[in-house]
Amino acid sequence: MTDLAVPPADSPSATSALEVDNLEVVYRVRGIDRVVLRGVSFTIAPGEAYGLVGESGCGKSTTAYAALRYLPRNGRIIGGRVLVGGLDVTAMSESRLRQFRARDASMVYQDPAQAMNPTIRVGRQLIESFTLLGQSNSQASRSAIEALRKVRIADPERVMDRYPFQLSGGMQQRVVIAMALACDPKLLVLDEPTTGLDATVEAEVLDLVRTLRTESDAAVLLIAHNLGIIRSLCDRVGVMYAGRIVEEGPSAEVFDHPQHPYTVGLLRSLPRRGVRKTEKALDTIPGILPLIGADLPTCVFVDRCALADDTCRTVVPPVVPIGTDGNRYSRCHHVDRLASLAETPGHVAISMLTPDEAHPGVLQLSHVSKTFHQRSTAIPALVDVDLDLAAGETLGIVGESGSGKSTLAKTMLGIESLDMGGRVALDGHQLAASTVDRSADDKRSMQMIFQNPDSALNRSWSVRRILVRSVEKLTGIKGKEANDRVEALAAHLRLTPRHLDLRPRQLSGGLKQRVAIARAFVGDPRIVVCDEPTSALDVSVQAAILNLLADLQVEQQTSYVFISHDMGVVRYLADRIAVMYLGRIQEIGPTDEVFNGPNHPYTEALLSAIPDVDGGVKARIRLDGEIPSPANPPSGCVFHPRCPRAIEGLCETTEPPLQQAGSGHLIRCHIPVEQLVELQRKPSVDA
Amino acid sequence: MEPAAPAPASPPSTTDDGRPAVEVIVAGVQQASERKLARRENWRLIRRRPSFIIGVFIVLVWVVCAVLGSRLAPHDPLDFRAKVHLPPSADFPFGTDKTGRDVLSRVIAGARDVLKIAPAAAFLGGIFGVVLGMLMGYIGKRLDLVLSRIVEAFIALPVLLLALLAIVTLGNSAWVVLGVVAALFTPIVARTVRAAVMAERDLDYVTSAKLRGESSSFIMFREILPNVMGPIIVELTVRIGYAVFTISTLSFLGAGPPPPSPDWGAQVSEGYNSIAAGIWWTTFFPAAAIASLVIAVNLIADSVQSVLEAS
Repeated sequence: MTDLAVPPADSPSATSALEVDNLEVVYRVRGIDRVVLRGVSFTIAPGEAYGLVGESGCGKSTTAYAALRYLPRNGRIIGGRVLVGGLDVTAMSESRLRQFRARDASMVYQDPAQAMNPTIRVGRQLIESFTLLGQSNSQASRSAIEALRKVRIADPERVMDRYPFQLSGGMQQRVVIAMALACDPKLLVLDEPTTGLDATVEAEVLDLVRTLRTESDAAVLLIAHNLGIIRSLCDRVGVMYAGRIVEEGPSAEVFDHPQHPYTVGLLRSLPRRGVRKTEKALDTIPGILPLIGADLPTCVFVDRCALADDTCRTVVPPVVPIGTDGNRYSRCHHVDRLASLAETPGHVAISMLTPDEAHPGVLQLSHVSKTFHQRSTAIPALVDVDLDLAAGETLGIVGESGSGKSTLAKTMLGIESLDMGGRVALDGHQLAASTVDRSADDKRSMQMIFQNPDSALNRSWSVRRILVRSVEKLTGIKGKEANDRVEALAAHLRLTPRHLDLRPRQLSGGLKQRVAIARAFVGDPRIVVCDEPTSALDVSVQAAILNLLADLQVEQQTSYVFISHDMGVVRYLADRIAVMYLGRIQEIGPTDEVFNGPNHPYTEALLSAIPDVDGGVKARIRLDGEIPSPANPPSGCVFHPRCPRAIEGLCETTEPPLQQAGSGHLIRCHIPVEQLVELQRKPSVDA
Repeated sequence: MEPAAPAPASPPSTTDDGRPAVEVIVAGVQQASERKLARRENWRLIRRRPSFIIGVFIVLVWVVCAVLGSRLAPHDPLDFRAKVHLPPSADFPFGTDKTGRDVLSRVIAGARDVLKIAPAAAFLGGIFGVVLGMLMGYIGKRLDLVLSRIVEAFIALPVLLLALLAIVTLGNSAWVVLGVVAALFTPIVARTVRAAVMAERDLDYVTSAKLRGESSSFIMFREILPNVMGPIIVELTVRIGYAVFTISTLSFLGAGPPPPSPDWGAQVSEGYNSIAAGIWWTTFFPAAAIASLVIAVNLIADSVQSVLEAS
């Protein structure tokens, strides 16, 4: 980073790519103006990358959109200025603004599929971005090909001929980035650019953005909820809360030594540095984000802050410079007292039993396959899966989209019937293939927590009805007794009787997920399948839900099958991890062994793709190509076309064996374990 | 349509952690009142819509006519005789028809039949349509394939001819008209319901219901139905308008109640031959009655739809 990053206060606009000065924005909802931004100020130097973090609803996206004056119709800038390259965006006429957006600034959105017109070929859309700049058609099409090369698309001519839906998500996002860079913008705004992408694809797109930054002097404003991405990509970061930046500084410093109570809370609620549930409970941030438009005259964080005192309630916190460089500040009265913020006392989860001959485990899957039939093609979504689940154990299942994680969950539960020849057994007795044919007791024993509580809870039922109905169906208890049981369980999960009479949409995401968890637990299940239960939640809420799941498990000896794409979360909660690729388990083993290696090359790539909030240095394993269609799996080892360690002549012809890499640690690979150990030896940091 | 504000438009949230219960309750109360306010606001908005007010007003006028009938009519709609073809005047605001009956009285009396049969037909067709659409949408697979083709075939047929044929064969009692109109509407409602149900059936609350062993009929009618009531209510309201129209058309074509009846369609049918002779009022007023009722019902349907969509 250069000295330009934080220009002196008196002459900023001359050198800044973006200067946001005391920006105030309101949304008009039901006739009332509600404040969303309460005086946001920051600057980005040319070539610098600046990240905004914070939980949903804190105003990150509004800030990004306001920077291009691209607010929804009910949004209005009521104060402050936005200068891009010295031009006052807030004062531009409509036609000037259009010109500005075409030439000086670009935006990349979360969902690339929605950023492109699905009925027009990629090439024409890309060429349009150049003709708009005044290039002739032939010139523009040359520029388009060049632009695709620039975003590392190997075969631009072929891609230009495609329609957006014919490209994978990662390719789509590359094309969108190419369009955004067409005008060589002074400012590039990226709003959650990789949120919808798989881990390995996300890593590739982030690599691309990193490379492009060295080739262009565009300033980057990056919005992401994933702190690891911000750390790996941004020079500086601003932490937003309730429409104000509460802390700002160089990314590494902010994430390593947070200087605002909110930043401290946010970082502590993440499962970091390989922490496990047996070591400590995750911290949560008490309270809730204020509603938009709430009256917050002083410190915006005061209601949730453990350090808050009367000063915080009466005096607006000053901008407190941190350190001597002048590039870091915190808006807090009590920066000096941060050390006294107490961590949640540690708690120890039960140690689980590894299934062996003596303890065969509550759930056994042997030779479980599931083939979907679409017209005349057979799509094998699960191929010959064997699993054992011990009582009180958490089995994490990871893998990218299309790996068969959810199909595995659904097949266990009988939502999908498994193919002939496979067997799912609970406590030694074989379960019927379909839920419908399972006994009431079997249904009670296996329940599920879904990813999206909005979809999982019937929106026209009250919470009480949802829970009582489950008690009645699963346990046979009726009437008042059922109601009593629901109230007891709800209280245990910190839901109040008031919540019981609300409808799901009147609850926050975290409370909804609590209701869904309560529903799964009404019948004292043996096994609960959790399908990405926290991926729709903010990190502080995620922490509370993970703590709750860990506690319930300790009390009830419940086994979890925990599906997630977030390796940090899986590492925290899971006792064992299974890695899936194209419907096959490629590696399975105790969590520590999977994280320490040796690994299957796919696991290796997956692990190296995680952007680390702690800034750990990792050698990235790049994967070539895209995840193949399950309908047409590669021969031999299904991973061989993308495997950087594939052995020619062997991997594409022969299916690899399961090798023992440690106690209960199995890897499906041709490369001998000793060789994998050698290949994957972690490079020491000094080297 | 206003685009939702990006982040802050998310619903107000309550706490997610282990705060003392009192605080949690406070947060909940604030929120409940916020929601109640929102709902009241919605009703305030719908009540302020001129189209809704006009629609309700017109429908109410016809409902009063239907209920009071001959007590409201200045003359007996069937037996009163004045001079034939008197133009509108102070004594006979809508004039008299070719047998000297008071058109105003007949228009008022005509409201009763149509207001009895049209909503009943729409409702009956709605019930059948909901059941059929639910089966098609939820059970799906082959059943849907077969039923969908039948529904499409039915919709493709010239309905009026079909209805006329049925009435000619079965007789033109009010019950037959009701049944025929209901049967005409069933496939149309079924199609709407099917589409709405298909959007619901893959949601996780349905999976969850299966996991606890609910029957298909419970899932269809207790879990899914309340969530698709919006489109069903709109469809039913629209259908009432169409039912008025269809019933009047049938009686215009002679498939309605026999001559002395003051049915609007029948009156138009009796009078339209005389328009060329300048006697417009025997046709105009019953026709206007039909139009006003159909338009009024559609105005209400529009308002209901926009409010349900907004919330």
